[in-house]
Amino acid sequence: MIQTDLLGAPLTEPEKKILQLYQTLKELTARKDLPPCASCNLRKALASLWQVTNDLNLQFEQLYDLGV
Amino acid sequence: MPYSEYWNPKNETLSREQLQALQLNKLRRLCAWAYSNSPFHRRRFDAAGFRPEQLQTLDDLRRIPFMTREEWMDSQAEKPMFGDLLSTDPTRAIRYHLTSGTSGRTPLRVLDGMKDWDWIAEMWCYGFWGFGVRPEDVVYFAFGYGSFIGFWGAHYCCEKIGALVIPGGSQTTEGRVTQIAEMGVTTVCSTPTYAMRLWQQAQQMGIDLANKSRVNKVILSGEPSGSIPAVKRQLEEAWGAKCGDTAGMTEIGTIMIFECSHQPGGTHIIEDHFIEEVVNPETGEPAPYGELGERVVTSFGRGFIPLIRYRSKDMVVKIPHDSCGCGRTGDIYDGGIRGRWDDMKLIRGTNVYPRAVELIVREHEVIEEFQVYIWRKDNLQDEITIKVELKPGQETDWEQLEKKMAAELAGAHEGLRFNIERVDHGNLPRFELKAKRLVDDRPKAEYSRNPDSPNQ
Repeated sequence: MIQTDLLGAPLTEPEKKILQLYQTLKELTARKDLPPCASCNLRKALASLWQVTNDLNLQFEQLYDLGV
Repeated sequence: MPYSEYWNPKNETLSREQLQALQLNKLRRLCAWAYSNSPFHRRRFDAAGFRPEQLQTLDDLRRIPFMTREEWMDSQAEKPMFGDLLSTDPTRAIRYHLTSGTSGRTPLRVLDGMKDWDWIAEMWCYGFWGFGVRPEDVVYFAFGYGSFIGFWGAHYCCEKIGALVIPGGSQTTEGRVTQIAEMGVTTVCSTPTYAMRLWQQAQQMGIDLANKSRVNKVILSGEPSGSIPAVKRQLEEAWGAKCGDTAGMTEIGTIMIFECSHQPGGTHIIEDHFIEEVVNPETGEPAPYGELGERVVTSFGRGFIPLIRYRSKDMVVKIPHDSCGCGRTGDIYDGGIRGRWDDMKLIRGTNVYPRAVELIVREHEVIEEFQVYIWRKDNLQDEITIKVELKPGQETDWEQLEKKMAAELAGAHEGLRFNIERVDHGNLPRFELKAKRLVDDRPKAEYSRNPDSPNQ
């Protein structure tokens, strides 16, 4: 589990939870067995959470393989 | 609990050292991504002998070759529709837009993935929140919602903030004024030109926007005049509202600078999402604080079409962040975007920039509309005429105004003679999006096609 942000600062408790949520959404978005109502809305949620994690310097990556 | 002043307090107040460390971290990842996935960038990096792993400090940024609009256009011409800049399969895009084509060039075609499109709104959030837009606001977009990207991102930004969004869409100016008044709009978004047009229309309709509407913020974009003091002063008086400037470009899909609620006379750079260099346009060498130069942008937002060291041709003067008291550590473009290097016109050996002309014309509040008309006299001599429309009822001091303005324009342009011509009210064109106030009517060099030539 990542413990620091891109600048090496320790993650706060909310940041840890946000990052965990982001990882969970990535896992769910990658699944192929979900109905459209789930997979499409999960992708949209992941696009939003990418902004949060990017703004807070928790990650900087591309998600096009997940359709996001 | 009161709202935070900043959209992203963590990064908007980072120390300069940390901000630069963050930029270097993102730059390495962006370049590695672009090198691996975008044939356009891989080709250019290889030609320049640049490898992403060479980025050890932020100064190594200068090892990366500049990217130009011409290269991008060539790429789209050679490989329609999108060229080889794309870093992923175009079927993964959710959005298509075009540059405005204001300057007469072939528009660029751009694609966005899902997170890129959301990021575009995110950048507007830095600006709108920074200027004071909150969930309680009612935000009106005087915007046609077409293929030009314009205020699209700002629309979604306001939804994200939780404000009530009113999309103006395609309708008459009268209809828009009516909506603004009826719906209790607090924030109006438009070009500076159109904000003035809305106010003029309201006057004709007997609606006193300054005293009878709820509008307290006018957010401007799309034209350099949003940071011209006289333009801003007139708009603030007309609307009885604070006016804030923003600026972006279709090539990055969003804004990269915004004026905060402290109104420092310039626009903060969103430096956790962009690297904004200012260079001498001739040499490409860095321009120091306070010196006019060309902005060169690297965007961390769009991985779909990576923009790395892109020559914008925008004229800017960068000054340190602490010129503003808001606490943001993002540096400032003093006076916003000051025009474009390629807007420059050469008249009898003197450089004339449309924004410099507007800077002077707009100081005269009796002028309602104007046009810079360039023509050739007797097929020999270039002439520049400022066509002027006065506000109704302001015609009495015309001769004095004509002389004063001619002297001011000549004084700012090495003594160049400007012709000043008054035209009847309502004769000059009005604009909704980007104004086109410069008409260059000089004959253009053309080559004649010979239909019999075997090469045609």
